[in-house]
Amino acid sequence: MAAVITRLALWAALCLALPSWAQTQVQATDVQVKAAFLYKFGAYVEWPSQAFPAPDTPFTIGVLGADAVAEELEQVAAGRTVHGRPVTVRHLRRGEPLAGLQVLFVGQTQAARLEEILRSAKAQALLVVTDVADGLPNGSIINFVPVENKLRFDIAVATAERMQLRISARLLAVARRVVPG
Amino acid sequence: MSAGRFALRSVQQKLIVMVLLCTLAAVLVAIAAMVAYDLRAYHTSWVADVTTQAELLGRTSAPALAFDDARVARENLELLRYRPEVRAAAIYDARGKLFASFSPAAGTQFPALPEGGGARVDGDELTLFKRVLGDGEILGTVYLRTHYALYDRLYGYLGIGAVAALLSILAAYLLSRRLQRAVTNPLRAIADMAQKVTHERDYSLRVQKLSDDEIGHLADAFNAMLAEIGRATLELQAANRELEREVGERGRAEQEVLRLNAELERRVVERTAQLEYTNRELESFCYAVSHDLRGPLRSIDGFSQALLQDCLPQLPADGQRFLQRIRASTQRMGQLIEDLLTLSKVSRSELRKLEIDVSDLARHAVAELAQREPARKVDVAVWDGMQAQADPRLLRAALENLVANAWKFTAKTEQPRIEIGCLRDGERSTYFVRDNGAGFDMAYADKLFGAFQRLHAEKDFPGTGIGLATVQRIVHRHGGRIWANAAQGKGATFFFTLAADATVREAANG
Repeated sequence: MAAVITRLALWAALCLALPSWAQTQVQATDVQVKAAFLYKFGAYVEWPSQAFPAPDTPFTIGVLGADAVAEELEQVAAGRTVHGRPVTVRHLRRGEPLAGLQVLFVGQTQAARLEEILRSAKAQALLVVTDVADGLPNGSIINFVPVENKLRFDIAVATAERMQLRISARLLAVARRVVPG
Repeated sequence: MSAGRFALRSVQQKLIVMVLLCTLAAVLVAIAAMVAYDLRAYHTSWVADVTTQAELLGRTSAPALAFDDARVARENLELLRYRPEVRAAAIYDARGKLFASFSPAAGTQFPALPEGGGARVDGDELTLFKRVLGDGEILGTVYLRTHYALYDRLYGYLGIGAVAALLSILAAYLLSRRLQRAVTNPLRAIADMAQKVTHERDYSLRVQKLSDDEIGHLADAFNAMLAEIGRATLELQAANRELEREVGERGRAEQEVLRLNAELERRVVERTAQLEYTNRELESFCYAVSHDLRGPLRSIDGFSQALLQDCLPQLPADGQRFLQRIRASTQRMGQLIEDLLTLSKVSRSELRKLEIDVSDLARHAVAELAQREPARKVDVAVWDGMQAQADPRLLRAALENLVANAWKFTAKTEQPRIEIGCLRDGERSTYFVRDNGAGFDMAYADKLFGAFQRLHAEKDFPGTGIGLATVQRIVHRHGGRIWANAAQGKGATFFFTLAADATVREAANG
């Protein structure tokens, strides 16, 4: 009996330390999962040093065409850090410059215009994440794929290399598919 | 010999047992220390190993947890199949839900909820929970359950320890058997020598000193003791020989004494026999002579009387007087012969002892004397109740003689007095006859009882001188003793005993 109480108390303590989404909702929604993934990708990707000009440059995630995700992401990222930098979230409008972003999530509505969007960020080390159902679009590095009620993703390694990004093998290990080209 | 060998074997066994016990103790302690160290090291390293494994799993599975990819996590876990010690492995997500699991065996149960971090030993299993952290956040928990081989190792070590202990004991036994000869051989030499000395009684034997340790000192001490014993034994033997010689001499002297005694006794017996023979000859001669003398004497007396009666007128006065003298002499001679015959009879007749009233005998003797000389007035006192075990005829003769003596020697006393009594000292009676007559000089007391010995002149007190000799012979025949106490002119007392008891005989010899 004492062992059970101890175990429950321990578990309760563990739960208090969890992020709010985990506490409040047992079954995470698609938006929540995407927001969490976007935040978590940062830890498994290395950016070149010029991506962070100043020591206090925040880790900035830009969200285009997915306001729900952006809002969710703001909640998730609040008070958190990636690579020791505070995480900031930017809601992007069409045509807004991409400078200062480390991660760009392009929602389904804007996916068709991806090449146009990325044109202004040719030399920028930018982790482009898309949410396209029929495979990795050109220019995208990570693409969300729903598989059996779960969110999975494909990774285009060559594109990442072109972007001067080094993606951790551990992230590649959990990818659904790793596309060389 | 057997006792010595046993004692030696015992020392040998004790030494070997000591060595074996020491070896066993040392080996056991060493094995115990090694096993304890090894098991502790095993536990520490195994826990560290499993912890590392869990850490690694956590690291590898962190992305899977982060991106909710249970397949990847399971793949990671399945790599553990190359570690056969792992019995179960699982990953729980941040909410404590089982995320991925693996077990080489089917139907393995997994805990419903993860526990706090740390390792726990459960029998032969080690259970470990390890938190998976990512960027300071708890991503989940790794659960690992592995085989914990501590007891297997312990049993293995016990087996190895037993074999090692056996082998070391065997080695110690063989070694100590060889080595302890250095101790037991000198001891055995001493013990064997001790046995040899005891058996052969040769104290000149010596133990060879084989070492310069305590046993060497023992050998020295033993040799010194042998020398001392040898010396003492020699002295003892010399003393013994001296003693034996003395004993032999004493024995020979005793033999000589015995031989001389026997010789003496033989000679005494011979001489006694000779004396007895001579005595008997003499007595029979005396008896024959006395008896044969009576006939002629009676003729002389008878014819002298006839001459005086029938031819008195023809005889001159001188002739008559001479005849009177002849008659008196023949009568005295007749009395002498009578007394001699009595003395002779006393010696020859057989002794018949009866209970006798001595007082009565004494009164009869006195009455006879008074009848013979009625003119004399003598105060006679006879004690009453005197008894004796004696021959009545002989005792009467003795008493008559003694009382007659007293009667005779009180003839010239103013108020004559005679007392006949008895002194009793226990069983012994000493009878006495006392008078207040002429007495005698004690200087001649030794002549008193000889035949024909007279202390007074015939004309003063007539007598044959045979009476006391007769009394003495009677008393001696009864085994008694007679002696006298007197003084010149102051009376005499004659004492005699009849009992042949030891006291009397001793007094007689003294």
